[in-house]
Amino acid sequence: MLEGEIRFSKEHEWLAVKGQGIATMGISDFAQKQLGDIVSVDLPRVGSAYNQMQPLAVVDSVKSSSDIYSAASGEVVEVNEELIEHPEFINHSPYDLGWIVKIKLSNMKEFEQLMSKEEYIVFIGEIERKEQESTDLPTNGRSK
Amino acid sequence: MDFIPTTDADKQEMLNRIGVKSVDDLIQTLKPYLQDKLDLPGPLSEIELVDHLNNLSQKNKVLKYFIGAGSYNHYIPAAVAHLILRGEFLTGYTPYQPEMSQGTLQAMYEFQSFICILTGMDVSNGSLYDGSSALAEAALLSSSYKGRNSIFVSKGLNPEYFRVLKTYSQGAGLTISNELNEDTACVIAQNPDFYGNIENLRYLSGQAHKAGALFVVCVVEPTSLAILEPPGNYGADIVVGEGQSFGLPLNFGGPYLGFIAVKNFLLKKIPGRISGMTTDSNGNRGFVLTFQAREQHIRREKAGSNITTNEALMAIASTIYLSLMGKTGLLNVAESSYARAHFLRDKLTGIGLTSLNKTPFYNEFVMQAPFGTSKRILSNLLVNGILGGYDLGEDKMLICCTEMNRIKDIASFVTITKETIN
Amino acid sequence: MKLIFEYDESNSMHIPTIQDLDDNENNSDEQMEKYTTSGLPNELLRKELPLPNVSEPTVVRHYTNISQLNYGIDIGFYPLGSCTMKYNPRINEDIARFDGFQNLHPLSHEECYQGSLQLMWELEQHLKTITGMDAFSLQAAAGAQAELLGAMMTKAYFRQKSQTQRTKIIIPDSAHGTNPATASMCRFKTITMPSDSRGNLDIDKFRQALQDDVALVMLTNPNTLGLFEENILEISDLAHKNGTLMYCDGANMNAMLGIAKPAEQGFDLMHLNLHKTFSTPHGGGGPGAGVLGVRAFLADYLPLPRVTKNDGRYVFDYAQRKSIGTMRFCYGNFGTLVRAYSYIKSLGNSIRNVSQNAILNANYLLTLLKHDFEVPFDRSCAHEFVLSSKRFGDKSALNISKRLMDYGFHPPTIYFPLIVREALMIEPTETETKETLVRFASALKCIAQELREKPDFVKGSPYTRHIRKLDEVGAARKPNLRWAPPIHPD
Repeated sequence: MLEGEIRFSKEHEWLAVKGQGIATMGISDFAQKQLGDIVSVDLPRVGSAYNQMQPLAVVDSVKSSSDIYSAASGEVVEVNEELIEHPEFINHSPYDLGWIVKIKLSNMKEFEQLMSKEEYIVFIGEIERKEQESTDLPTNGRSK
Repeated sequence: MDFIPTTDADKQEMLNRIGVKSVDDLIQTLKPYLQDKLDLPGPLSEIELVDHLNNLSQKNKVLKYFIGAGSYNHYIPAAVAHLILRGEFLTGYTPYQPEMSQGTLQAMYEFQSFICILTGMDVSNGSLYDGSSALAEAALLSSSYKGRNSIFVSKGLNPEYFRVLKTYSQGAGLTISNELNEDTACVIAQNPDFYGNIENLRYLSGQAHKAGALFVVCVVEPTSLAILEPPGNYGADIVVGEGQSFGLPLNFGGPYLGFIAVKNFLLKKIPGRISGMTTDSNGNRGFVLTFQAREQHIRREKAGSNITTNEALMAIASTIYLSLMGKTGLLNVAESSYARAHFLRDKLTGIGLTSLNKTPFYNEFVMQAPFGTSKRILSNLLVNGILGGYDLGEDKMLICCTEMNRIKDIASFVTITKETIN
Repeated sequence: MKLIFEYDESNSMHIPTIQDLDDNENNSDEQMEKYTTSGLPNELLRKELPLPNVSEPTVVRHYTNISQLNYGIDIGFYPLGSCTMKYNPRINEDIARFDGFQNLHPLSHEECYQGSLQLMWELEQHLKTITGMDAFSLQAAAGAQAELLGAMMTKAYFRQKSQTQRTKIIIPDSAHGTNPATASMCRFKTITMPSDSRGNLDIDKFRQALQDDVALVMLTNPNTLGLFEENILEISDLAHKNGTLMYCDGANMNAMLGIAKPAEQGFDLMHLNLHKTFSTPHGGGGPGAGVLGVRAFLADYLPLPRVTKNDGRYVFDYAQRKSIGTMRFCYGNFGTLVRAYSYIKSLGNSIRNVSQNAILNANYLLTLLKHDFEVPFDRSCAHEFVLSSKRFGDKSALNISKRLMDYGFHPPTIYFPLIVREALMIEPTETETKETLVRFASALKCIAQELREKPDFVKGSPYTRHIRKLDEVGAARKPNLRWAPPIHPD
């Protein structure tokens, strides 16, 4: 596992470990496109703990509201307060200015089991292919 | 009168085009299927309808009202009804398609603005069902925001409002308590209260915040806000209330008009529809429903409230009322209501009743009649076409005056009361 | 268009503060003069009242002008699915304004409101006849409030039976957002049920989900796809065998009047939207009335007061029984009840024509359009139907809806139900002519052609309204939700 390595969850969150088990989390470019223009973000409280796949934030676009799940278990050590004034950072810069939380990971194994960048690209390719074929799917790509 | 314009010929053509013999063929999957006509009287023509309903309405008796207790008899300028009867306001739908609904959306924005100005708050919504359910929504909102489950209710809350609050709270698993502690989500106070008392709520507001709770002020007679300090200035985090005094008829209890206004930090938590100002692609000013992601049609089970249909037309009526009255007119209403109430109070004190309000009051006050006389007083007033007040029991009467109480009726009230107790 | 706050005029609205013109006796002038609010303690008074003064001519012009920016049923076709935008009878507006109805204080003495109580009692009887339910509450101001009431009653019912393990409500994936939101407000959890290939509730998955922790099933019949639930009797049978109650969201009752009774389909509770099926005006989003009907075994849980008839006298009955309490200050949206009562009286036993024609109109319009768009389920529809415009690509439903405005129509409901991509939900109602339906279908066909030939043009619509496409993102990111008076620099 490389420091600064980025991995992806099935719910389209990305996680990048910077050092000392602290990971930065956000949503992928695919996810932000699906959501459309984001108008507000509900951030968690610093110090709160989440299990993997527990919802920890909510992102609202004009016509939808989506949960952001914790890609791995841990404690929230920092939140991106900039998103309150500038929710559009998630759309314009999902991997940089649009970061959502920093988590102190409690279980490194969870991180290692997430998808690599290459695996994620294949994953979203599959989703796009299925959407083309199917008759009835929700209009946003995020699964419920 | 079913207002169905389809001719038999058209009906036949349509059935042919669909490829069925009759509408029955289309309904086949519906079970169980009724064979007989429903046992309903009628149909009635318009003439018969008016006759029938007129007879019903004449079984009612409209009196001279010296009663408030949650519904207030104020004058409604004629233009209000004329404007809300316009088909564009009356028969329009919820403004989900803003390009088709700029009228409704602008009127909503103006309503929201009036409420914010009168209450001294930052943000308001486009209406809730009525004052009592607005209060209940404020309690739910506070509980969700603070993560606490107890509601502190100051004495002096309208007892009907208290009952509604209790019903909603039970549903949501909240408790109403008279202890202010670290489990209190909000402190609720009505101002002026049910007995008409105007309170200085700064101390209570401070206590609420010290306990980490939100301070909720409930305004049931909002014409009082023409003269009284807006709750936003004395620490209210949420103001709810009943807009019926602003241009809505008594209507036997509804439709009325709930309002809710909050400080900015609670913007994302406010229930119901909100109109926001924006621009179109040519840079022209326009309005849209905004922050819809809070609402049930998007958040679904995560929405704070399930409210969809609100009291939009009533909000438009109130906006028109407030525009017609303006600053001068609204001050007049408040002064007139205040003056007549105090005039009557003093006259009643003069004939032997006791005034029970320990604080100043606006247009409602409590009088204590001599022992065992209040029921006879109220019934003698009734016989003379006057509803003399709300019977609080123990010879206490909650009496209200507005600009609609003529001096000669006030004089009759006093005369009849005097005769009764002698 | 100016805001009302942007005027500064002389306002001649006059309310007599003290003296009344016709009061020649007494010298109440002098007496009343001392009663001014300046007598109140200063700390209770506000320092300023920054409201505009506007003359009546300007107010009337202002609101007349902004009303003309609206569309309404009075102007044209409003094919919103599940909203039942039928004609709002004008006579009902007159009747609701009769002095005896409109000017009655709710806390009057019992002998003063016999007429209103009789109206409410008779309305309840008619609603019982129409739906087969045994008792109604007229209290709720909207369908959502009625649902909440129903959910609270369900909770109380199971608490009474010591079955508090029932914490879940089953709701189809096609359900209106109020259903799961209502469940939450009552601290129930939602189990979402998928639809099968015919658009019915998937009965096998339903059977599996029916555990002893399920309190209630909330269904709409016909459902939001515009289809009658073909297995409704089996569904209610399964639910009841599991001890679970059945709730009918009656938003789509316009398909069943005089044709079927929800009680006979196994529903234990249901609400009706008087502002949909029963012609009361929408008013830009309200008022409405969401009456709640129940089977006899639940009647004791209904909110107070009930309306009862004793020896020809009508009374408000406050006897507690097992009532869950009360949902509002005083009785209900009486003005709305009057309009609905009047409508039912005018229809009488010919009420079936309403649903028959609603179903006919919907199927006719569907037939006209089914080759131009995807129809998710190959069945005849009830009073509404859903099309998908997905063959025209992403956001096509949105673009079609905006372009329809240029053709003089209000768009249908879009992006609902959630289970159909690029959904257009269309409900024509019985008060529309065949000619209107043909014109509407033509417009949609033209737009379909435009989407094939010049899609970018369609994306830029509407072109002919007072306003072009509005920036909804900006409205949410930089909220401006009220006018604020200018701050005085002192």
